Amino acid sequence: MSTAVDTASPTAPEPPTRPAGRFSELLRAEVHRLLARSFIRVVLALAVLGWLGAVVLALTQFSSPTPERLAEARTAMQQSVALSERFRQDCLDDPARPAEISGDDWCGPAQTVADLRAADFLDPPAFSLAAAGVEGAIAVGVLSAMLAFLLGATFVGAEWSSRSIVAQLFWEPRRARVMGAKLLVAAAASVVLGVLAQLAWPATAGLLQALVGDGAPLPDDFWPELAAAAGRGVLLTLLAGLLGLGLTNLVRNTGAALGIGFVYFAVLETAVNVLRPAWQPWLLTNNAAALALPGGLELSRPVETVDAAGRPVLESAVYVLGSVQAGVYLGLVTAAITGLGVVLFARRDVH
Amino acid sequence: MPAVELHAVTKTYTRLGRPPRRALDDLHLVVGTGGVHGFLGPNGSGKTTTIRVLLGLVRPDAGEVRLLDRPVPAELPQVIGSVGALVETPLFFPGFSGRQNLQLLAATAGIPRSRVEEVLKTVDLRNRATDRFRGYSLGMKQRLGIAAALLKSPRLLLLDEPSNGLDPAGIRDVRELIRRLGSDGSTTVLLSSHLLAEIEQVADSVSIMAQGRCIASGPVAEVLAGRSTGDVRIRVPALAEATAVLTAAGFAVTPAPDGLLVHGVADPGAVTRLLAEHGHYLEELTPVSADLESTFLALTAPPA
Repeated sequence: MSTAVDTASPTAPEPPTRPAGRFSELLRAEVHRLLARSFIRVVLALAVLGWLGAVVLALTQFSSPTPERLAEARTAMQQSVALSERFRQDCLDDPARPAEISGDDWCGPAQTVADLRAADFLDPPAFSLAAAGVEGAIAVGVLSAMLAFLLGATFVGAEWSSRSIVAQLFWEPRRARVMGAKLLVAAAASVVLGVLAQLAWPATAGLLQALVGDGAPLPDDFWPELAAAAGRGVLLTLLAGLLGLGLTNLVRNTGAALGIGFVYFAVLETAVNVLRPAWQPWLLTNNAAALALPGGLELSRPVETVDAAGRPVLESAVYVLGSVQAGVYLGLVTAAITGLGVVLFARRDVH
Repeated sequence: MPAVELHAVTKTYTRLGRPPRRALDDLHLVVGTGGVHGFLGPNGSGKTTTIRVLLGLVRPDAGEVRLLDRPVPAELPQVIGSVGALVETPLFFPGFSGRQNLQLLAATAGIPRSRVEEVLKTVDLRNRATDRFRGYSLGMKQRLGIAAALLKSPRLLLLDEPSNGLDPAGIRDVRELIRRLGSDGSTTVLLSSHLLAEIEQVADSVSIMAQGRCIASGPVAEVLAGRSTGDVRIRVPALAEATAVLTAAGFAVTPAPDGLLVHGVADPGAVTRLLAEHGHYLEELTPVSADLESTFLALTAPPA
């Protein structure tokens, strides 16, 4: 049955129809939505508080090497050398020492003050920017990646739990566009988070070096290595943020996404490490570590071979997971999970 | 130009482990521009699915859908800026205030913030605009949903059960708002409701759905006329004599307050003439028309 019902005045001019908003407006709304979320504000505030707490803690754990403290350290160093020499002498005098083995081979070479650094005998120690710079950037990269995963997951998870993402389709029915805007904003937010964290680290480390540092000069390759570690940390943060959003969008629930993450990292990866060590290069944690660490990650696993006599022997096979390889792999995993979520969102009915 | 057109639209929901359910079955529906069009039907008749299809949320298996003369979903983005919608429960961020939720939606379409204040005033929520959505009563949530639908100053307003959760005063306010919107000539309101009285009071036209099909559609008076009872109520001074005359002529007559009810009257003029010929002059003759409720129940009743 088809019945036309026209109640309008036949002469009334019809106003023109309006299309959906521009993509830039959609992006602006997504940024607004991200920044207005209380949970995200609380998490970021807690991260800043945690950072300040860590700085205060570091200030209590390190102390600058004053001339008096350095003198004490040198005394402690000399006492250590003397103690070491006494033990070595006891070792050399031991009648059980085989005659054919030299004293240096059996008891080790004699230690002198030239072999040691007075700074190592400071208590509390002085902060060393040269030693902690790159390691700190890696740790900061891992922490910001974890934070980005959480933010990415809750960003879209909150929309699914409140179903406000459905209401958004009343305004922009092109679903790929809606999800594209969310992904872009999540990616930008992750990069900003990663960059801020990587800028905050040298600033903090510089402060510690100035207040409680060892005053030692930095090696020539310090800044390039720090910049490389920071860059890898930002990339890891970006991928983690997108992975959090992609996984949550796929399962349409923050709790479920975090649960899947927990089961994967706590159960599946452990099981793979124990039962299928050959699969270690495919684990996300190993790839994340390989991306973050300079030179990648060295993985070893037992391999059964045969010796010259044909007898089976168990050897350790070493596999180096390079940073580039890990970055590409993590990128592909993120793209696959995110892409699947976008395709399903674009094609399936929404209720 | 019709505001809404659906031709031969079919939609079957399939879920693993459950039998398929046909929500829309060869649905044909055309709603012209302007006025309020009531969309009636029992639960599960396909009203909400129809609205979801119009908004591109649900993809039909077959058929043609047009909204403001554009095919859906292909060209929906070209007209969505002129379509406001409230489908079932309003969907907002619980942690954001009412104003913040509307501002976010307005930002999506580049609508100025002043418009947010206008619609908040329209639905009488300005005093609570800074409260979080999760603290709103059901009626306030519904009013915010209507405000969101009005943000775009829509040419087509799709309202699915807008009176849900509203108190009597709220229902009256929404009814007046819908009537006002429908009377401006430029806005078409498609009002889905199970409140027959609400539809009857505000709708200019109506469509009745049952089992995924549109079983009646047209101006309210026309749909009701299609279900005419054939009864007339008459008032004459001599009730007993008039009853005798009519009964002798073959009419079924029953007493009614202040008069008589004559059943099965194809031509009311015949009653007038018959009584006049016998010297009884009518003080009143009123055809008894079906109301929307009885029409709705008759049309949607399952087959015996």
